[in-house]
Amino acid sequence: MTGLPILEISGLSKSYGAVRAVDSVDLHVERGEICGLIGPNGSGKSTFFDCATGLAKPNAGAVKLDGQDITGWSLNDIAREGRMLRSFQKTVVFSALDVEENLVIAGQMFTFPGILSTFGIGSTAHNRVAALRERARGLIKIAGLWDVRFMPAGKLSGGQQKLIQFASMLMPEPKLILLDEPMAGINPKLIERVVDSIRLANTSFGVSFLIIEHNIDVVTSLCKRVVVLDQGRKLAEGTPDEIVRNQAVREAYLGG
Amino acid sequence: MTETVREQNITSDELSVAATGIDLRLPFGVALIALACIAPLFLGNYPLHAIIIALIFLLPAHGLNLLLGYTGLLSLAQAAFFGVGAYTSGLLAVHFSTPFYVNFLAAGVMAGALALPLGIPALRLRATSFVMCTLGFVIIGQAIAKNWISVTRGDMGLSAIPKPYFALGPASFTVSGTVRFYYLALAIAAIGTVIAYLIVRSPAGRNMIAIRENETLAESVGIPTWHYKLVVFMISAAFAGFGGSIYAHYLTVVSPLTFQMYYSTTMLIIVLGGGAGTISGVIFGSLLFVGLSEALRVTPELRMIVYGLCLLGLVFWFPSGFAPLINRFWSFLERRK
Repeated sequence: MTGLPILEISGLSKSYGAVRAVDSVDLHVERGEICGLIGPNGSGKSTFFDCATGLAKPNAGAVKLDGQDITGWSLNDIAREGRMLRSFQKTVVFSALDVEENLVIAGQMFTFPGILSTFGIGSTAHNRVAALRERARGLIKIAGLWDVRFMPAGKLSGGQQKLIQFASMLMPEPKLILLDEPMAGINPKLIERVVDSIRLANTSFGVSFLIIEHNIDVVTSLCKRVVVLDQGRKLAEGTPDEIVRNQAVREAYLGG
Repeated sequence: MTETVREQNITSDELSVAATGIDLRLPFGVALIALACIAPLFLGNYPLHAIIIALIFLLPAHGLNLLLGYTGLLSLAQAAFFGVGAYTSGLLAVHFSTPFYVNFLAAGVMAGALALPLGIPALRLRATSFVMCTLGFVIIGQAIAKNWISVTRGDMGLSAIPKPYFALGPASFTVSGTVRFYYLALAIAAIGTVIAYLIVRSPAGRNMIAIRENETLAESVGIPTWHYKLVVFMISAAFAGFGGSIYAHYLTVVSPLTFQMYYSTTMLIIVLGGGAGTISGVIFGSLLFVGLSEALRVTPELRMIVYGLCLLGLVFWFPSGFAPLINRFWSFLERRK
């Protein structure tokens, strides 16, 4: 894993009034790496994600994706042009639509060159959607959702919705995926399956990951490098072993 | 409002199950179209007039359905664009005696183009403020129509707008009389319906539904939601402009009263009552609600009271409009042995 990092964030800051939610944080993700981001509740992890992916505007700092400066880009531009996708802490799917439609929607903007072309009704548009459907079915099979593919996504369990969300992010052949607590609130049996999917996407599709996760076993098994945030600042960085032994990190978690 | 729209989605036609036996949907559809084509044979002028009004209102209603039913944006501006279309057509016809298709196309293009500068600031607003802003467009439209007297003739309005005529080289054809106008309105409504159907079935239609369902999630999969909302706002305005054009040529007068909230609410009732987010629901809604309103003219004193009571009944018994009933009927046809 040599060369430029896929994601390089420097001096990122975000304040809400007097509260400095994120305070000049530097973070990078190597190409092909699964990097963990942990920290106590309220340490600014999600705000950091929001600023990195364009959902919130940072007050200061720069975000470079694959060598390109994407600071200030909107969420949809970063997803579409940058192929950096993110999940949300609270699982979200298009709940009224079936699983297959969810995945097709997730791939559309990467197949069609512009907004106007999506209004197309000719054979080009038809073939593009057919190809997306084909890819969606393949991912649905891998995710083990084949039997429920025509069910409205909102009627499925929380874990299944996480899998839909994850499969959706793989529709456009992403460079980098940011996962916000992928294991929160899902059945322990499904945790293995989600961990396997992440590993599979990493090894076979070459997707890099930055993962916020509270489940320390998952972090230890997936990540070679972990970054710890506390009160908006970077507290520590290192291998999972180093982090678990780090005195400052222990104190932060114990509220010391 | 959003609750109604949400409930709607679950009963969308995506859920229909595999057919057993003969599928009667196509024959039924053909029969309905045939019935529409021969309607003048057995309907008097007054019922035909009511249907013409319903067919005219179907266009802005389709536009509003794209905006509200599919993209999830509640707009009250349809009457403003309806009025813009009516005045555009009326002015062209009165001053330049242009043929109908020129006036008609100009009305749609004008309304759609005007939606661009109005939509850019309006769509930056949050839900409720956006609704109030679109309401403002109607009021401003009326004020301009009333006060720009040199162009619009103010409260006197434009009168003697010619009946639609088509001119191609030496041949010309004037659509006069209720029956001929019925066929013109029917043809235009049919084309509008096909276009609306193609839009919602296109990949863009899928993106519009995604925006309605969850805007942030739609953004996160790369959909430029703001641009889509602007484009759909313009398309819906164009639909309203086309409707306004036929309305002007049908009534042969246009006055500042064309810009009235009553029209926006009528279009809203058609969409919500018929079933937001479905094409067939809007067709049913425009026939039912405009037809009902026209039919109630037999009791002018009680008309609005009865109409209001009907709407109250609708809200209590069919909170998501008639679309679920229509869908059930379609799947009944589909599964018949």
